[in-house]
Amino acid sequence: MAFLKVNNLKVYYPIRGGFFRRVVAHVKAVDDISFELNQGETYGLVGESGCGKTTTGRTIMGLIKATSGEVLFENQDLLKMNRRDFNQHRKDIQMIFQDPYSSLNPRKRVLDIVAEPLRNFERLSPAEEKKKVQFYLEKVGLNPEAIYNYPHEFSGGQRQRIGIARALTLKPKLIIADEPVSALDVSVQAQVLNFMQDIQKEFNLTYLFISHDLGIIQHMCDRIGIMYRGQFVEEGTSRDIYTNPQHIYTKRLISAIPDINPENRENQMKLRQEINSEYKNSYDKYFNAEGKVYNLKPISDTHLVALP
Amino acid sequence: MSNQPLLQIQNLRTSFRIGDDYFAAVDDVSLTVNENEVVAIVGESGCGKSALAMSIMGLHPQERTKLEGKINFKGKNLLSLSTNEMNKVRGKEIGMIFQDPLTALNPLMTCGKQIEESMTVHTNMSSEAKRKRTIELLKKVGIPNPERTYKQYPHELSGGMRQRVVIAIAVACDPLLVIADEPTTALDVTIQAQIMDLLKDLQNQTKTGIILITHDLGVVAEMADRVAVMYAGEIVEIADVHTLFKNPLHPYTRSLFNSIPSSTSTKDRLHVIQGIVPSLKNLPRSGCRFKDRIKWIGDKEHEVNPLLREVSPNHYVRCTCYKNFHFSDEDVGDMNYGIS
Repeated sequence: MAFLKVNNLKVYYPIRGGFFRRVVAHVKAVDDISFELNQGETYGLVGESGCGKTTTGRTIMGLIKATSGEVLFENQDLLKMNRRDFNQHRKDIQMIFQDPYSSLNPRKRVLDIVAEPLRNFERLSPAEEKKKVQFYLEKVGLNPEAIYNYPHEFSGGQRQRIGIARALTLKPKLIIADEPVSALDVSVQAQVLNFMQDIQKEFNLTYLFISHDLGIIQHMCDRIGIMYRGQFVEEGTSRDIYTNPQHIYTKRLISAIPDINPENRENQMKLRQEINSEYKNSYDKYFNAEGKVYNLKPISDTHLVALP
Repeated sequence: MSNQPLLQIQNLRTSFRIGDDYFAAVDDVSLTVNENEVVAIVGESGCGKSALAMSIMGLHPQERTKLEGKINFKGKNLLSLSTNEMNKVRGKEIGMIFQDPLTALNPLMTCGKQIEESMTVHTNMSSEAKRKRTIELLKKVGIPNPERTYKQYPHELSGGMRQRVVIAIAVACDPLLVIADEPTTALDVTIQAQIMDLLKDLQNQTKTGIILITHDLGVVAEMADRVAVMYAGEIVEIADVHTLFKNPLHPYTRSLFNSIPSSTSTKDRLHVIQGIVPSLKNLPRSGCRFKDRIKWIGDKEHEVNPLLREVSPNHYVRCTCYKNFHFSDEDVGDMNYGIS
């Protein structure tokens, strides 16, 4: 049985207008998506800005109300739970935010930031709390003596690790990482990514890794889902997606990644032009009359593509 | 190269005042840009690449900045120009593309008016001629409906479209040199590819020199002719793009290459550069500035006073520490840095 199962999740925002500000249409941020996560794996959610990947992550966290659908976490539907039950489950799902500069309260000390989840869910004496915070700070490679410092005293990579320490304190099972390294420099990025892999092994974590950077996704993820306008266009293992992309949108995304070898410059440009013209010419083949993609169909055991 | 370079920076030092002292954010940088050439400046945040660009444009607040050295552009030293004279160069002969298209555009002006603005300042075209030229520019940067976009406000456009407007502003007066400060960082990959193609097209048409400032080595590989790698205010390595990607020499350049997750490397773990980028106040002002981050390399490998030396034709490297450099976790002799 899947660890986390999302069934037909929809998040619609009403557009109001006209007489009595009636609902005239909907913005379909997430439109009928289903996917599964197995325990211990890293699942990548990729897409361009506005495709609904962050909304999906936040809905699973319970930060955004879903319009319909199911989010089954260990076989219980998070969306149908009452508040108290939901709060108990919320302990098991934590989030790492994108921007380490705005996701840490500048007026709180590291101790208070990292201990906040503990204070919400567990009753610990100040001494126990301090010990626990220091334990996790050490785990993320920060000096445990730094608990009385403020966020501005740390560099970007260190701040992101404070955010990770905060996510770890309640021993979560699932971590939703929403663009965890986009705001960081390459060398710091490497540090945080390595570290995320280390703690994954140590704490047996499952990651839902949301990113627009296909290089990082390929490096980190076991399975990948590609989103476009709130829907999935393709899903498969990292290998399926990168070596055998089927949907034109996936091909276009992958061809847009800059090639690190300057010798391939011309080929890459040619490939990109070919795919762009294919994208224009065969648009009707991959998208229906409303510009929506079709439903996912399996083409192998692991690989699903949205084809008519 | 036989002809005179378009831009020649000689021993530029840009220092900012903090308290009563000046600290150099750009230290002894010499760089040339030729016509029809894309020179990329690569480095992490805080290495001084943007400070260098702003120095060329003269955009640093004068009362807190000290600029030393020379920036020769078309036979003039930009640093000795008065504000008025500089205003005539800025936007006309040197155009700039900023990183974030949302903050670079004025939210209260239509896109058309913003593009016209630099023409109003630098030329005496009639308003009808300006309008025509603006629409032509919008078409050139690949905006599908230029007449409509002319009347639209920046918030009505998507990020990629806004960046196109910013590019149109930069090239409005046919500049000889365009400085692009992280032009694609705020954009999605597919849009990034489009903007890169657009810049290349524009460059082929107009033969402008481009200074491309970025931290993304992929963008560099696709666009640049020559690359300068900056660390802690200094250029540590300059070479043409093929040489640099095939044979990076400076320890910092090699570490950077190793830390990008790329499809060609099969390694599970990414390389991490030890330590942190020193802040402006704590920069080591003598010796190799990268020394503290490669502590396993002995002191005697470094120069006391590292200089940028030509190690092969047109390939310059600073400090001698590259000669015996190896990564801390690799065997000496294993020289595979993840590029096939």
